[in-house]
Amino acid sequence: MSDPGVALAMLGILVFAIMIGFPVAFTLMALGVGFGYYAYFQAGTAFFDSRVFYLLTQNTFTVLNNDALVSIPLFLLMGYLVERANILDSLFRSLQIALKGVPASLAVATLATCALFATATGIVGAVVTLMGMLAFPQMVKAGYDTRLAAGVVCAGGCLGILIPPSIMLIVYGAMAGLSVVKLYAAAIIPGFLLAGMYVIYVVGVGIFQPHRAPRLPKGEGDVPLGTVILMLAKSFFPLAMLILSVLGAIMFGLATPTEAAAVGALGAMLLAAGYRTLTWKAMRESVFLTARTSAMVCWLFVGSATFASVFAYLGGNVMIKDFVLGMNLSPITFLLLSQAIIFVLGWPLEWTEIIIIFVPIFLPMLPHFGIDPILFGILVAINLQTAFLSPPMAMAAYYLKGVSPPSVLLTQIFSGCMPFVYIVLVTMAMLYVFPQISLWLPNALYGN
Amino acid sequence: MQRVIYAIDQLNKTIGHAFAWCIIIVTFGTCYEVFVRYVLDDPTSWAFDLSYLMYGAVFYMAGAYTLSRGGHVRADMFYRLWSDRTQASVELALYVVFFFPGILALVYAGWGYGVESLRLREVSVNSPAGMPIWPLKMMIPIGAGLMVLQGLAEVLRCAQCLRDGQWTARMHDVEELENQILAEAARKRAAEGAPA
Repeated sequence: MSDPGVALAMLGILVFAIMIGFPVAFTLMALGVGFGYYAYFQAGTAFFDSRVFYLLTQNTFTVLNNDALVSIPLFLLMGYLVERANILDSLFRSLQIALKGVPASLAVATLATCALFATATGIVGAVVTLMGMLAFPQMVKAGYDTRLAAGVVCAGGCLGILIPPSIMLIVYGAMAGLSVVKLYAAAIIPGFLLAGMYVIYVVGVGIFQPHRAPRLPKGEGDVPLGTVILMLAKSFFPLAMLILSVLGAIMFGLATPTEAAAVGALGAMLLAAGYRTLTWKAMRESVFLTARTSAMVCWLFVGSATFASVFAYLGGNVMIKDFVLGMNLSPITFLLLSQAIIFVLGWPLEWTEIIIIFVPIFLPMLPHFGIDPILFGILVAINLQTAFLSPPMAMAAYYLKGVSPPSVLLTQIFSGCMPFVYIVLVTMAMLYVFPQISLWLPNALYGN
Repeated sequence: MQRVIYAIDQLNKTIGHAFAWCIIIVTFGTCYEVFVRYVLDDPTSWAFDLSYLMYGAVFYMAGAYTLSRGGHVRADMFYRLWSDRTQASVELALYVVFFFPGILALVYAGWGYGVESLRLREVSVNSPAGMPIWPLKMMIPIGAGLMVLQGLAEVLRCAQCLRDGQWTARMHDVEELENQILAEAARKRAAEGAPA
C-alpha cells in the first residue's frame, strides 16, 4: 500500500473508533503512535529507537507553548464560579421587569438573560437547565406557546459558544494558529447580530401572533422606575461589567487573553463574594471541574498533534487537498460543502472533536479559495449552534427535557428550536454575503 | 476487584484534586503580574513561567483523574444505545487496542525525556528568573503512569460489568451543574411518580 493509502486507512480507523465511542484523545494518540511507528520505521534500528517516541513527548510538552491555551482554565474557572454565584434568579427578574413594555417581554428577557449568562459561563448545559427551571415554567404559565418558550431557552443558552470570551474560539485559534484577539473581535458583531435576530423573531411573534406570546396583564409587575434601576444595578450591571471589562481589556490590547481571563476569574470570585455565594463548596467544585475540563482539552491537543504530524508525514493532507482541489469547486461551493459537512458532523460529535479533528482538514485549503480563516472560524462557531438545537443530537433540547414536566414533549422542544435553526442559517448566509459584518471590527482595530 | 478499582480511583482523585488548586495559583499569580505591570510599571520576571508551569502540572497530573470520571470527550451516539454488557466488552477491547499502546509509549518516551531534564537540572529559558522546568518534564511520565494505572482500573470495571451484567456506580465526586440539576429533577419526578 502506498503511504497516502496508509494515511487514508488511518483516517478511516479514526472515524470508526470515534463512532463506536472511545475517548477521542487516546484514539488519536494510539493511532499516531501505531502508524507513526510504521511511517518512521528504519530497518536496522532498535525497537525503541523510533522517532515516533520523540514526537509524542515533544508534542506533549510543546502544547504548553501555546499561549492562548493557558487562558482556557482561567475562563473555565470564571464560568464555573459565575454559574454557582446564584445570580440568575435576580438577573432574570430585573430584566423581565425592565423589559415589561416590549411585546413578548418574557421571551425577550429570557433571551437577554441567557445571552449574558451564557457569555460569562461559555457553557451550554448549565444555562439551559437553570433557565429551563426558572424562565420556562413562567412563560408557560403566562400562556406562551410551549414550543416558543422551549426554543427561546435552548437558542439563548447556546449563544455562549459564539459570543466572546468563548472557549471554542480559543481552541479554534490555537488549532489554526490565529490570534484569539482577532477572532474575538470578529465574533462580537455576528454574536450580537444572531442574538438580535432571535429578539426580532420573538418580538415579531409577540406582535403578529399574540396568542403564542401574550402580553402581561396591565398593571402586573408595575414598579417605580427607581426600583427597576436599583434592581438592574444589583443584578445586571455587575455581571455585564465583568464581561465588558474582560473583553474590553482584550480588544483594546490592554492585556493578553490570559491576563484578562485571570482578572475575570478573580472578578468572578469577587462577584460571588458580593452576592455572598462564594462558599467552600462552590470554590471546590469550580476548581475541580476546571481541572477536569482543561486536562480533557489538553490531552485532546496532544493526541491531535501526534495524529496530525504522522498523517501529514504519510502524505494524507496533500492527498485530501489534491482530491478537493481536483474537484474544481468554486469558492462558494467549497464553503457550502465544508459548512454542510461540519453541520452534519455536529450531530454525532461535540464541538471539541469537530474543531480539533476536522477543521484542520479544511484549513489548508482556505487560501486556495480565498476564504479568510477568521471568517471561516466565525461561520463554524455559528454553524455549531445548530448542532445543539437540531435533532438528533440537540443537547440543549435534551437538557431542557430533563428539567421540564413530563407533559412537555421532546418533539415540542425540537419544533420550537427549528425557527431558531433557520435564523442561524440566515445569519450564516448574511455573513457570507457581507463578510464585513465580521471582519470590519478586527480590521478597524488591528489593521490587516 | 472492587477494592482495587476504588483504591486507584481514590488515588487519582486525590492527586487530581490536589493539583487542581494550581489553577488558583495561576489566577492569583497572573493577577499580581497585571497589577505590578500596569499599575506599578514593574513587571515580574517569573509570572509567565509560573503560569505555564502550574498549568502544565494540572494538565499532566489531572489526566488520570479526568479519565476516572469519564471526563475525556467521546461520541456516544451509538455507545449509549447498547446494553451494559455490550458497552463493557467493546470498551475492554478498545482499551487494549487504543489506550495502552499510546499511553505506554508516552511513559517510556517521557521517562527518558524527564530524566534527561532532571540530569541537566533544566531551567526555563523564557526569563532570567531561571525557574526549574525539570519537575514539569518529570510529570509527563508520572502523569502518563497514573493514566496507565487508571486504565487498568477501567479495564477491571469492564470485567466487573461483564461478570455482573451491569455497571457498578462510580465513586462520588463533584459534578457539572447541569448534571446535578438533571439528577435532582429526575429524583423529584420519580418521587412524584411513585405514589400515583
